[in-house]
Amino acid sequence: MPPLELLLQQALNGVMLGVMYALIAVGFTLFFGVLDVIHFSHGDIFMLGAFAGLSALLGLKAAGVAGAALALPLAFAAAMLVTGLVGVAAERVCVKPLARSSPLMTLLATLSLGLVLRESVLIFYPRGADPKPFPQLLPQGGVEVGGVAIRYENLAILAIGFAAMIAVDRIINRTRMGAAIRAVAQDPEAAQMMGVNLDRTVDATFFLGSALAAVAGILSGLYYSEIHFIMGITGGVIGFSAAAIGGLGNVYGAIVGGLLFGVLQTTAAALIPRGSEFRDVVAFAVVMLFLVFKPSGILGEKSVERV
Amino acid sequence: MSLLEVKGLTVSFGGLVALDAVDVGVDAGETLGVIGPNGSGKTTLFNALTGLYAAAAGEIRFAGRELAGLEAHAIARLGIARTFQSSRLCLALSAFDNILIGMQAGRRTGLLDSVFRRGKLLAEMGEALERASHLLALFNRDLPARGFERVGQLPQIDRRRVEICRALASRPKLLLLDEPSAGMNPEETAELMRDLQIVREEMPGLSVIVIEHDMFVIEGVSRRVVAFNYGRKIAEGPFAAVAAHPEVREAYLGRETARA
Amino acid sequence: MALVLVWAAELAVFALVVAGILAERPLPLAATGLAIVAAAVGLRLRPGLRRALVAAFVAHRRAALAGGALLALALPLALRASPYWTFVAALALLYVTIGQGLNLQIGTAGVLNLAGAAFAGLGGYSVGLLTVTAGWPAWLAVLAAPWVAVIVGTLLFVPILKTRGHYLALVTIAFVFIFNILMNNFEFTGGPQGIKNIPTLRLFGWPFTAKPSLLGVELPAHANFYYAALVMASLTTLVLRRLHDSWLGLTLNTLRDDEIAARCCGVSITRGKLLAFCIGNFFIGLGGALYAVMVGFVSPPDFDFGYSLVMLSVIIIGGVDSIPGVVLGACLLLPLPERFRFLHEYRLLLYGLVIVVMLLYRPQGLWPAAIRRYR
Repeated sequence: MPPLELLLQQALNGVMLGVMYALIAVGFTLFFGVLDVIHFSHGDIFMLGAFAGLSALLGLKAAGVAGAALALPLAFAAAMLVTGLVGVAAERVCVKPLARSSPLMTLLATLSLGLVLRESVLIFYPRGADPKPFPQLLPQGGVEVGGVAIRYENLAILAIGFAAMIAVDRIINRTRMGAAIRAVAQDPEAAQMMGVNLDRTVDATFFLGSALAAVAGILSGLYYSEIHFIMGITGGVIGFSAAAIGGLGNVYGAIVGGLLFGVLQTTAAALIPRGSEFRDVVAFAVVMLFLVFKPSGILGEKSVERV
Repeated sequence: MSLLEVKGLTVSFGGLVALDAVDVGVDAGETLGVIGPNGSGKTTLFNALTGLYAAAAGEIRFAGRELAGLEAHAIARLGIARTFQSSRLCLALSAFDNILIGMQAGRRTGLLDSVFRRGKLLAEMGEALERASHLLALFNRDLPARGFERVGQLPQIDRRRVEICRALASRPKLLLLDEPSAGMNPEETAELMRDLQIVREEMPGLSVIVIEHDMFVIEGVSRRVVAFNYGRKIAEGPFAAVAAHPEVREAYLGRETARA
Repeated sequence: MALVLVWAAELAVFALVVAGILAERPLPLAATGLAIVAAAVGLRLRPGLRRALVAAFVAHRRAALAGGALLALALPLALRASPYWTFVAALALLYVTIGQGLNLQIGTAGVLNLAGAAFAGLGGYSVGLLTVTAGWPAWLAVLAAPWVAVIVGTLLFVPILKTRGHYLALVTIAFVFIFNILMNNFEFTGGPQGIKNIPTLRLFGWPFTAKPSLLGVELPAHANFYYAALVMASLTTLVLRRLHDSWLGLTLNTLRDDEIAARCCGVSITRGKLLAFCIGNFFIGLGGALYAVMVGFVSPPDFDFGYSLVMLSVIIIGGVDSIPGVVLGACLLLPLPERFRFLHEYRLLLYGLVIVVMLLYRPQGLWPAAIRRYR
């Protein structure tokens, strides 16, 4: 049995990872809420967010804006705008036109669109095949509390991640657009009759969810100090898994699912031999068990099969 | 001799009781009509009989066997076939394929025959197609010629016929028809009644339970009728008596009208 | 007369394909391209000609098949100057085998298996382990490997039965990831390096590294694999066509389209899905097994999630649930990017775009599934 400090340390690291996963998962769950689809290229939009953020930072540096306090918020804004627009475009090309055919068609189309995004970055980003170093802009150093090392950088990532989640919560619960999103998620036809503009609401949802993926992408870059074009595959699968174990359609479920997945990964890494290699095997196995035995997820509503 | 005997059948979803201690019986060769307002438990009865819903209490005896715990496909193989309120045909498949699926439980050839003894399989398929044609021709002489068309291309009434043929294809002992006239205009409904009459004549030993909103249809095809409301059986007997039953009138027409 | 038409059409397609592959200089290449476009436009504009062709092929099915078989046998002769193209042709045939297996699952039964790469990998790795580690002869390993794919597939039985749609897709994707992580980290599978030096096939004393000769013409060694893959793809296609046009295909289609109706018609969902899953995995594993002996090594990147998508695109391009569609899809999708080397870098990008466009504008595929006629 590893010492308690190690477990605590791993739990903290798990929450770190979990925040990023949760931000991706919220997108999956929002899209599922309004359109009942799985938007599979969302993982690659997360990757795109990281690359857009990196490009913005490099551009700002070239333009002489060097301070993290200014460059980072600008990079976040730019990346969120890029992924938001790409997300809306993806929805208009691959999701909406297929709304009337079987949901699997959307899954296949968005899966393929993800491939297109991934390959586009590989081919068209300069030396896209190599991992790209991500500038370290967050405060370095840290403190030790009871044998657990806490790095300032990690605290900053946590703070940004939670701020983003609170922002989503506010948008969904306190704004007109949020009310429209909730109404469409509950019953699209009734929402339309109440005067909700369906197309605009769907666009807004995809913009919001995709912008969150950009936040996750930049945070991931800051955390690992490196981004790579294939990060979207794993990011997407983990995000979808998190949304599914949380209960598809439930935003808080997605957050819980993301955190759970992160903690699961890091504790598996600490507890089993050669854990860092096999941690994802454990995490995915748990996801499978969830899907089989509790398909409605932790916070999802149980759906009754209608005959 | 009673073919189907249902005693104290109760089905509930969470806290909601959809069927409350219902007793129903059908004799061999009899047609039973089931009426009741929307949500009164009629379709739930069918779903429980065919094994789609599990019963919370009560027993279902069919041809001397207890059905509790059997899976839907096993119950179908014992001889209960059904149609659905909103058609459940496979629209991308041909009309023949939709009927043939009803015969697959009685197939005599296996996987290995399909691959290695092709002649045997094709001979059996030929017989099956012929029987499907025969069934379609019972209702509409022009239908067998369209048997290899996708069923989605057929008009509504013919689709309903294909669905009835699919149910009959399994040579059932009991046929459950869930609102066969749903979504039909008066002429189509008249045609449907004629179709049901044909079924009666062609298969005199077949028992039928038919759910209908159209009282005209119920009166025409069934001698005995049961009425449901809020998951309970509220009346049973000949059509005229059930239709005149105060509780039935109340359920259909509302309290005020019934009192007036 | 119709017979002549059939063979002439087949010969024309064969000539165009060979010319398309081999034409190097701009002028012949442009001429070939023009001829292909002209043929396509001609068929489109002259429905009479198209109907006559279809009728002729239907009337002389056996002759058409015989002609096609003859031309398929002759292809290595035409490609003899290029061992590389012989290899690509063999690879396309492997994808026919894999595609047929996957199509039974996804197309016929609606079991959305996105773990095709993992099951092919199970076939390939089994061959590697059985030959290199256990010392079995390659032919025996190739025969045994598909069973490993089937047996390991039983691990997914419960998820297959209990989940559907998106969730099933997620389960199978997770399975590919798990497979890849394990292969990358187990020592007995060679880790990231994989298994090298898989011995070549040897049938009746004939080693597949020797150059065969046909009608006195020496062919590249890859022609051995081409013929092996051809036999395998033909047998697989025959078996799956027969299964598709039988009670099994009908049952699987019904449970794909409407599980509740299927159950009420006496169809056991459990039996149907498991049969489709196992039979499909067998052929996917078989394709992976032959791949291993053909290239001589297996490693994790050969079987990652991207290959699941390639297999999927074969089915979508050809036509979901369409047996001839799978053949067409594999024979178009694999060689095309190889032909245009400048496209090679863009290969996956193109696959992705093609699937999206197909799903939007022609979801039934290039050769849509036909109505079952049982003859």
